[in-house]
Amino acid sequence: MAEIICPLCGKPNPPELDECQYCQAPLKSGGFLPSAPEDIEAEGTSPLSEVEDKAGAEPSTPKPAAYPEESIPDWLKATEAGFTQPSEEEPEATPPEDLTEQIDSIINPPDSTPTSQEGAVDDDWLDSLLADAGAGEPEALSNEEEPAEKSEVEPEPSAEEIEQEVSPKEEQTASQELFDKPDWLANLEASSTIKLEGGMFGAEPGQEEIAPKEVPEEESPEPIDQPDWLNKVLPEEQPESAEEPEEGLAAAELPTWLEALRPPEATSPTGPVEDISSAEVVTAGPLSGLRGVISAQPSAIRPQKPPTYSIKLRVTDEQQARMQMMEELLADEGKPKPLPAQHVITSQNILRLIIAIVLLLPMVWMIIGKRQQTSMPQPGNVPGVVDFTQSIQNLPPGAVVLVAFDYEAGFAGEMNLAVTNVISQLMNKNAYLTLVSTISSGPAMAESVIKATYTELGGAQEGYVDYANLGYIPGGTMGLLGLVNSPKSILPYSLDGSNVWAGAPLNSITSIEGFSAVVVMTNDPDTARIWIEQAGPKLLGAGTPLLIVTSAQAEPLIRPYFKSSPAQVQGLIAGLTGGIAYARTFGNTQVNGEWDAFSAGITISVLILLIGSIAGVLVKMLPDNRKKES
Amino acid sequence: MKKIFPITNAVIAVISGLLVVLGYFFPTAFGGIQATLIGWAIILAAFGLLLGVFNLFSVHWKKARNQGTGQIYSLVLLISLGLTIVLASISGPTGALSLWLFNTFQVPVEISLLAVLAIVLVYAGARLLARRPKWNTILFLVTVLVVLLGTVPLLFIGEITPLNALRDWITQVPAIAGARGLLIGVALGTVATGLRILIGSDRPYGG
Repeated sequence: MAEIICPLCGKPNPPELDECQYCQAPLKSGGFLPSAPEDIEAEGTSPLSEVEDKAGAEPSTPKPAAYPEESIPDWLKATEAGFTQPSEEEPEATPPEDLTEQIDSIINPPDSTPTSQEGAVDDDWLDSLLADAGAGEPEALSNEEEPAEKSEVEPEPSAEEIEQEVSPKEEQTASQELFDKPDWLANLEASSTIKLEGGMFGAEPGQEEIAPKEVPEEESPEPIDQPDWLNKVLPEEQPESAEEPEEGLAAAELPTWLEALRPPEATSPTGPVEDISSAEVVTAGPLSGLRGVISAQPSAIRPQKPPTYSIKLRVTDEQQARMQMMEELLADEGKPKPLPAQHVITSQNILRLIIAIVLLLPMVWMIIGKRQQTSMPQPGNVPGVVDFTQSIQNLPPGAVVLVAFDYEAGFAGEMNLAVTNVISQLMNKNAYLTLVSTISSGPAMAESVIKATYTELGGAQEGYVDYANLGYIPGGTMGLLGLVNSPKSILPYSLDGSNVWAGAPLNSITSIEGFSAVVVMTNDPDTARIWIEQAGPKLLGAGTPLLIVTSAQAEPLIRPYFKSSPAQVQGLIAGLTGGIAYARTFGNTQVNGEWDAFSAGITISVLILLIGSIAGVLVKMLPDNRKKES
Repeated sequence: MKKIFPITNAVIAVISGLLVVLGYFFPTAFGGIQATLIGWAIILAAFGLLLGVFNLFSVHWKKARNQGTGQIYSLVLLISLGLTIVLASISGPTGALSLWLFNTFQVPVEISLLAVLAIVLVYAGARLLARRPKWNTILFLVTVLVVLLGTVPLLFIGEITPLNALRDWITQVPAIAGARGLLIGVALGTVATGLRILIGSDRPYGG
């Protein structure tokens, strides 16, 4: 019942026909004659049988006993059953060694046999088929020689075991499947037939005749269950092999008329195609050269800074001009600009000179002439002067007085009149002056005033010795607080280096309330306030008078301490007015023109302010200036 | 160490401040330690003054070495500083040479500066209304004139009693009110700053 499959049309034909009854293609010259399984096994001419033999050799490895029966796939059991059954029925069949040689002679013809190029192609075809088969069963065909040897060494144990498990029904099904060749096998045979024109076996006519003779027609072929992996591999293999261009052949250019005849689905893509022309080309890694794919390099997945996109603004000409102006302004900021040359003679300088001359000339004239036309201030009209005088008068002879020289040298012209009068009164009382200062120039000022005053009193410049210049108290408020609490520890030595606290009269003084009076001479209202705040409470508690000689600018701020009740300041002399008033309390009415010069200066200043203001308003009201302003 | 020192500084500052404050309330118990701490602070302040002198010298030494417009002024300052130190070292801080320097240079220079200031102020006041003709300017000028006229008897005119009373009112009511307001604000700020330092919230010493 063996039929010959037409290699061209794939339809079965009776075995007695030499040509296909359907397409008239030669059947026996190069066709593939399906034979009985035992013949196939004996000859080993079928590539499928060889593949299956190698695949089936895997269970017959030296460790089949170790394999459980459940681990053997069904297709392998069927295949091995087909192989082993004929060997039991025909023990005189060709031994395995002969089979191997025969297979080798078919697959690899002897060198003496002239082989054509087509034969070489068939060998490649067979190798590729075997390789593909090995891809499906890696363990079975990874080593091609080993399974063959194992199948030769131990063919019977595996066959017997499999034979017991294969049922007759399965054998029948397998034989039926064998006769119903799959399409891929038929195509393979057809292609081989066409290529060889006489077939692979046709090259050896002897073998061609042997095959049909040795195949008994009555015997059914051994059922071979084709494995699933082979069914999957072979249909995929054919189109790949068909699409692969042959080596050595250049790609032909189709003529235009042939190109036009090509079906549209062959030239145009059937589905939507992504445009990857603008995609980046992978430059490194296994995907180098490809476009539009994700590079396998680690840099592809490395976090990168997102690209910055420039935002182009639409800038108008006006905005451009402003921007340019702004840039110029910013650039000019860093450039050093030379100061414009100032003219010596300008209207402002002339006006300043005129004001200075107008101010200075009358005062100089008053001082030089020692004029005394302006009425002198009365002590009773100047607040604090009388109280100051009474406090000084109440001091006992030889009293220890703490005098603080805390005014700057620039205020000496205003302050010195009152200061010298106070010092002279204290000297007249033979008071022991303890001089301190919270400013750095104070000690020199104190020393200068003491000597000048004593000289005015008619004494020698170095004659007055009842004083101790303790010098500068650093630390501002803290130093003053330290002096209030413990003057000996803050200023232990005088400026001449003597320990004034060891002897009389300072040896009896431990704190500031030990002094008979405290006289503070300052031009700074803050300094006066600090003295009042730090020393005032202790002095007030001890009944020690705190007397302040200050400038006219500080007097408004100090006067509330004098007017408070109880008064924190027991006496106050402020400015030139207070100094003259204080001098008049003890009859010192020295006429030196200072008071008239001071009065003239104030009067002229008022006049300049009035005239300048009126002139300024008038100039502003002129029509020319109004036009300029508008 | 960086974590320890700031804590140490804060602890020292807070304890010192508390002891000084307690010295005001309990002078018998804390007066001694208060005086000691204040003595230390005074020494540190004096050393700070000395450092200031050295800093002044170094700054002007660099300016004097570099060619520039202020080179001559720095040279004058360095020469004056050196001369003063030499003379004061020879005759003492209150010796004849020191007093000569003081009375010959320092006092006239400072007085001259104030005299120039007086002339500039008068000139600025005369042009004030021309530059800024506003009601505030007029009010300012009127106040200045009243205070000046009420301070001294005017030349050839004598004392204007109503102006004297007005001057006293201006100086003792509006001026003092503004000044006291400023002082109260400063006092409140000082109290707040002191409390922040005492509780360690504000650390001007670092940390």
